[in-house]
Amino acid sequence: MIRIEREVWDRMVSHAEKCFPKEGCGVMVGKDGVVSRSVALPNVYDGPQEDFFVMDPKDLNRVDEEARRDGLEVLGIYHSHPDCDAYFSKRDLEHSCPWFSYVVLSIKNGRLDHANSYRPDFDQTVANKEELVYG
Amino acid sequence: MAKILIPTALRQFAGKVDSVEVPGDTVRELLAGLTSRHPELKRHLFTDEGKLRSFVNVYINDEDIRYLNKDATPVGANDTISIVPSIAGGSTAVAEPAQAASLNKDEILRYSRHLIIPEVGMEGQQKLKNAKVALIGAGALGAPLGLYLSAAGVGRIGLVDFDVVDFTNLQRQVIHGTKDVGKKKLDSAAETMLDINPYLRLDKFETPLSSENALDILKDYDIVIDGTDNFPTRYLVNDACVLLGKPNVYGSIFRFEGQATVFAYEGGPCYRCLYPEPPPPGLIPSCAEGGVLGILPGTIGLIQATEAVKIILGIGESLRGRLVLYDALSMRFRELKLRRNPECPVCGDHPTITKLIDYQEFCGIPKHQPQAPADSADIDPVEVKALIDNKTPFTLLDVREPHEYQIGNIPTAKLIPLGDLPKRLNELNRDELIVAHCKSGVRSAKAIELLKQSGFTKLRNMKGGILAWSDKVDPSVPKY
Repeated sequence: MIRIEREVWDRMVSHAEKCFPKEGCGVMVGKDGVVSRSVALPNVYDGPQEDFFVMDPKDLNRVDEEARRDGLEVLGIYHSHPDCDAYFSKRDLEHSCPWFSYVVLSIKNGRLDHANSYRPDFDQTVANKEELVYG
Repeated sequence: MAKILIPTALRQFAGKVDSVEVPGDTVRELLAGLTSRHPELKRHLFTDEGKLRSFVNVYINDEDIRYLNKDATPVGANDTISIVPSIAGGSTAVAEPAQAASLNKDEILRYSRHLIIPEVGMEGQQKLKNAKVALIGAGALGAPLGLYLSAAGVGRIGLVDFDVVDFTNLQRQVIHGTKDVGKKKLDSAAETMLDINPYLRLDKFETPLSSENALDILKDYDIVIDGTDNFPTRYLVNDACVLLGKPNVYGSIFRFEGQATVFAYEGGPCYRCLYPEPPPPGLIPSCAEGGVLGILPGTIGLIQATEAVKIILGIGESLRGRLVLYDALSMRFRELKLRRNPECPVCGDHPTITKLIDYQEFCGIPKHQPQAPADSADIDPVEVKALIDNKTPFTLLDVREPHEYQIGNIPTAKLIPLGDLPKRLNELNRDELIVAHCKSGVRSAKAIELLKQSGFTKLRNMKGGILAWSDKVDPSVPKY
């Protein structure tokens, strides 16, 4: 289960909506399964960003160091699926990392439609849905 | 010694430390030192073959070792090693190369009318072929579902049923024919479905779905379609789908009316959000008790089939959050908005049901029928016949509806439909024995209960109803 504090959730949603029709992405930081901070990161994919995102590892490392400094940890990754449901796609799976929860936000016509969270496995073959609580 | 920074997500596997200092001259040696000190980290960083996992990037200071000398990159005493996962992803189905087993020439011909729809095409047809659908019940709803899903090219269908085809099924269960009466529905349906589409992989489960087997059976399928008509199974299918995170394509039918929606899909509501509690047992008659227009399950089953195919193809707008109500008599569809209930015991924010329960008990159906007291015990139709033949004074009370009475009746019976009984009690003699009957014994048991509460004492319920009467006493009374 992953729980996201209300203001953090609102920030994630508004970031994902702002990125529409491109995919937006970011990192969720917190402790003990509760996300208390989100960090929006630039999508550095150099192809069409409507259906793909890539995070710069240096950005990710910076977020990790800030989390470490504040006694928190990186709990998950979020990204949006513009005009598409919040499933964990094959491409998501192929680029996933089992250390994190993956929150996928379905943004349709620029507004949040629904969201899900997934935990991918080590072999990048299966992602199980986990309970997502926000607010 | 060089320092390795532990990613915060992995600290729990490294004794909660932020960094580790390990001796070694190359990245490879350092990482080996790290995992021998903290063995739990090993599977997070390396595959079983000992290769760095594809999502793990290693940086020495600010440089990615992939652009240096990979894991042979030399490390100095003042260097800092960072482990950074590579994170990417994408929504698109379009750019994804279809991983499906490709279609052969015969299949291309077979599905040509799908392949020329842009929204389906080769990719969609391969999705259908890759799809795994569990179909609960090979009855009224299961019949059109089984026929059309097989025809559409759904690659694998798991069919769950344990019933046998009888004559009363043929008015609506079009997957079975007259020649199939007496066969297992599973075998009869399988024969038809495989005739329509020999490419189908059909898994047969000859068992009632239960709390013991549901998760095990359903876990291998992508979508669950509920074609059952009893409450315990509906709640069971619902809860199993929520727990497994699988969409539950729902349909129900009664006389001229039907409902359909998709539960537990993409954050939408589940059956319990709509109906938190089951109705009291017996309140809602089943199709066997109340009847159903034979064509109705065709309409509702095909709405379910359409939803399943849309989910597989990832196209259109699903019925998630919308309950479609269909009235065949007025030929109108209405729609109700459904919302996920945050308080829902199974799909809510704080679920209290986290595993399958006893659904018979939940729906108020006792496991063993309690022993009826002597004054309201069952009576066999043969004994009733003897009472009539011996001219014993008693009232034979038929609590069915007038149109059922017309199909067939016992001549000495007095007809008072169950619904009229409370206001017609004065027509009954309290001092005389009353034997109640209906079609199969369910409604008459309710009548007995009602009479008992109204102070009647000499009561019997004719076991098995007029169906048993036809079997045991008078075969000229038609069964229906």
